[in-house]
Amino acid sequence: MSPQRRRRLGFAVAGWTVTFLLIAPFLWMVLGSFKTTVDFLAFPPVFVFTPTLDNYRQVLADNSFLHYTLNSTIVATGATALGLLLGIPAAYALARWRRTGIGVVLLLARMAPGIAFLIPLFVMFLELQLVGSYVSLIASHLIFTLPLTVWMMIGFIEAVPIEIEKAALIDGCSLVGVLLRIIVPLTAQGIAATGILAFIASWNNFLFALVLANEKTKTLPVAVLGYIGYNSIQWGTLMAAATFITLPVLVLALCVQRYIVRGLVAGAVTG
Amino acid sequence: MVDVAAAPRAPVTPRRRRDWTPELLSLPALVAILAVMGFPLLYLGWMSLHRWSLVGFDPPRFVGLANFAHLVQDERFVEALGRTFWFTALGLASNLPLGLGIALLMHERFPGRSLCRALLILPMVATPAAMGLVWVIMLDPTLGIVRYLLGAVGIDHPPLWLSDPDLVVPTLVAVDAWMWTPMVALICIAGLAALPPEPFEAALVDGASALQRFRYLTLPMMLPTLMVAAMLRVMDLLKLIDIVYVMTGGGPGHLSETINLYNYLAALSYDKIGYGSAIALVLFAIVIACTLVLIRLRRPAS
Repeated sequence: MSPQRRRRLGFAVAGWTVTFLLIAPFLWMVLGSFKTTVDFLAFPPVFVFTPTLDNYRQVLADNSFLHYTLNSTIVATGATALGLLLGIPAAYALARWRRTGIGVVLLLARMAPGIAFLIPLFVMFLELQLVGSYVSLIASHLIFTLPLTVWMMIGFIEAVPIEIEKAALIDGCSLVGVLLRIIVPLTAQGIAATGILAFIASWNNFLFALVLANEKTKTLPVAVLGYIGYNSIQWGTLMAAATFITLPVLVLALCVQRYIVRGLVAGAVTG
Repeated sequence: MVDVAAAPRAPVTPRRRRDWTPELLSLPALVAILAVMGFPLLYLGWMSLHRWSLVGFDPPRFVGLANFAHLVQDERFVEALGRTFWFTALGLASNLPLGLGIALLMHERFPGRSLCRALLILPMVATPAAMGLVWVIMLDPTLGIVRYLLGAVGIDHPPLWLSDPDLVVPTLVAVDAWMWTPMVALICIAGLAALPPEPFEAALVDGASALQRFRYLTLPMMLPTLMVAAMLRVMDLLKLIDIVYVMTGGGPGHLSETINLYNYLAALSYDKIGYGSAIALVLFAIVIACTLVLIRLRRPAS
């Protein structure tokens, strides 16, 4: 074997080992979700066992869990759609007219702790009797979906050649027409990527739902805590629930992996 | 004779009006930002000057800066502040070298490299609350896989991790590092790809060792990239809450309580809205200050 090939083999082994270690918790989670309680309580842990779907049956038979899934979907879809609707025109304006100052606003939004918005929003929504409503959750999630959309879309719009727009304007197209008939179709892929990132950010958000949701509107990240409270941990069910919550996110994220870091730079209000 | 006054005037054009199109297009977003961010922040400032409780019948009472003055006497706050900096320091000390290391590895060519890079994104996008609980199970002192794996390499009496007063913070940092080191790595991979090849070729010709090339070329040239990664990590580490909330709830005692967690508890569990607002403002100020320091370090005054 040539030294060149041996070198490459060494890097392959090291690279794959690191990758395996990083995704091992996911593998263990999925594996655990198929274990019976007996298998789960075995020590040393078993790697080969007769898989069972009981955990998933139990999670899905729980009506409230499906209800929380619906909540998560409604809130994430609403916050994403609203973010795109408000964010795309703003991003267009910022990309083409270069108003400065937006960078500072985006950076401030990135730095602000979520709790700084949550305390006043909680009091305001309490006054408006909106605590526990989808409206309060969707509105509050705009805090991260909107800056994320603006930030991502500025980049995508700047990549569209401006000559097309000029030609359209000369031909008598209105600005709104340019936005709808040129910018939106030409950045469709970017919009999809942005939408997915916003959806993930909203789906994963814990603190906002913890504060603003009630028993009826709470989302999955808060609901999953229910499996660990009280006296005992329902290990298998918890693993199944965790798999159920994270799997859609992981699949969506792999679709837009090129943009993930750019999205995280802008829009993760993590706490 | 030509009358000067009758000289042909400039072609008549309407006075160029200011173009309001960009303002109109960004107006909806601006209104939304003011409604959910701008106004709440002002309200937060107002609340921080009051003794404010939601339960009971006492109306908010103006107390000036008393809430801020109370912060320095609040041991739990001071401890949480120090602990948060400890979290941040440990986080940076682990994320940056590991991230750069993974990036250097993924920068080399090997079969399956692009798949490895794609899989790197998974820990940072998985729902933190759910993965925190998965880690609780893996770290379980009796039945956890971590105990088993350590036993397999000869460590028979591993610590209690999340219940150990000395290890709870490092353990939480490790879980946070699992989530976010890959992000640092991806940022560094992009940075490495953008480095000019010439200095490295010259160093090879001059017979520099791999270690020398790293020490005198890669590391200094990667510093700006590392600063960006550090900035992002500092912003998030100072605000750490999700995994602490689900994994320890701030325990044992308050030994893993971060500022953000104490802030949440003070304002919304203990119903000290005014005091909690003051903490939130201080936390916001700390994040801004630390970020500005890092931005400053990025562009050293010449």
